[in-house]
Amino acid sequence: MNSWPGPENSWEGVDAYFTWADSPGMLAFIVLVMCAIMVGIIWAAAKHESDVADKHK
Amino acid sequence: MTLEELNTFVTTQANVGMEAYYWWCTGFMIIIHVGFLMYEVGATRMKNAVSSGVKNLLAFAFMIPTFWLFGWYIYLAFPGGFVPIDLEGYGTPWNVSMGPMLSDQATGVFWAAFTLFACTTASIFSGAVIERIRISAFTFLAVILGSVVWILGAAWGWHPDGWLVTGWGYHDVAAAGVVHTIAGWFAFGVLLNLGPRIGKYNEDGTANEIEGHSLVSSFIGLLMLIVGFFGFLGACLIWAGADLGGWVNIYGAPATLSSFAFNTLMGLAGGMIGAFWWSKGNPFWMMSGGLAGIFICAGGLDIWYPGFAFVLGIIAGCVIIPANNWLHNTFKIDDCVGAVSIHGVAGVLGVLAVGVFAAGYPSAGDIPPTSFVGQLIGCIVMVLTGLVPGYVISYVMKSMGWLRVPDEVQAAGIDSAELNLRAYADK
Repeated sequence: MNSWPGPENSWEGVDAYFTWADSPGMLAFIVLVMCAIMVGIIWAAAKHESDVADKHK
Repeated sequence: MTLEELNTFVTTQANVGMEAYYWWCTGFMIIIHVGFLMYEVGATRMKNAVSSGVKNLLAFAFMIPTFWLFGWYIYLAFPGGFVPIDLEGYGTPWNVSMGPMLSDQATGVFWAAFTLFACTTASIFSGAVIERIRISAFTFLAVILGSVVWILGAAWGWHPDGWLVTGWGYHDVAAAGVVHTIAGWFAFGVLLNLGPRIGKYNEDGTANEIEGHSLVSSFIGLLMLIVGFFGFLGACLIWAGADLGGWVNIYGAPATLSSFAFNTLMGLAGGMIGAFWWSKGNPFWMMSGGLAGIFICAGGLDIWYPGFAFVLGIIAGCVIIPANNWLHNTFKIDDCVGAVSIHGVAGVLGVLAVGVFAAGYPSAGDIPPTSFVGQLIGCIVMVLTGLVPGYVISYVMKSMGWLRVPDEVQAAGIDSAELNLRAYADK
């Protein structure tokens, strides 16, 4: 996947030069993936803690 | 070299110098987290040592992406209160400003420094709740404190357009209010709902001393904290090299790094000596007193006479011990490291000290001069900004059963029960 945001093989006129800089939809998608991962991991950790608590009752 | 080339050269060097300065301040601030981790692990009983450290690592790891997602935006968008100003997307994570740009050498390093401020704020809260808070609940609360609550306070009291600054001349250059007061009173709010460790209080209300397993680890951690805070305090000044104006404080008024050097060290020394005297030589309180000595000076770190910074440090070192005892005896909290007193009480005193002893100092532009009323209002706002969300959110979490490790698991030890690990396998 070519994510270079500028003209082919040139830095001419380029300012934001990170991957998918010219694709707001892709940036928003990655942000949503980040959020989902973090919420999911906290939820999984909480579930593990609850399971441990049940075993010690 | 032409005049234009010379101009380009000077500007480029100033920008690169700025990047390098904040880059290394950020690196130094990571030492704060080494310090918090070693301190808290040492203050923990052996059966909870690993989970205590994991908690610190998780706070650090979650703070970075969440501060990128919304923390930095909150600082930029909410200087007027609770209604965001229109930034045309600037600061949101899907905007080009939040990634590498050839025309912007400032945003990344400033964001990084503020991210480490956020990590520090969350870690202040961390030590108060060791050995009985659920790791997932702590991580969530740390994100709330580090990436939402304190940075909202910073938008009001640190941002040059913040309503406390432009309306009241609030002066808090090194975050006595926006970091230490908020974090300390957020921790207090959580402690009220979290409850003490099992065995901390007897049925008659008397308290037992629960000793940590490694005083050496705690000593080294506290010293590392002081080293790391030099990065924190250095990043509180603004590098104005590109416009050849020299240092300015966070509000744009002239300042020097020398002023920070004078007063940080003098406050530190005063705090250690004051706590040595009041505690009759308790080394834990000596080191904590040194930190409190820095924090009581932090509001006016750019303007104190160094001898007075020493006196303020002495006061902090003496006050935090009875304040900690009073909080425990009155509210039956279990603040395992004295965080509410060291940060919350010393932070309040630091904000008020500027109003009492440094009223009338001019600021930049249209910002009013410092005043006691401005500092008092700022102090009240900072206490409430920490206390209210800390109490309310943890109350909701407690109601959901998502705050406290059950007593049976506490008794077994969180390390073996939840992580299947032991800090010292041969013991």
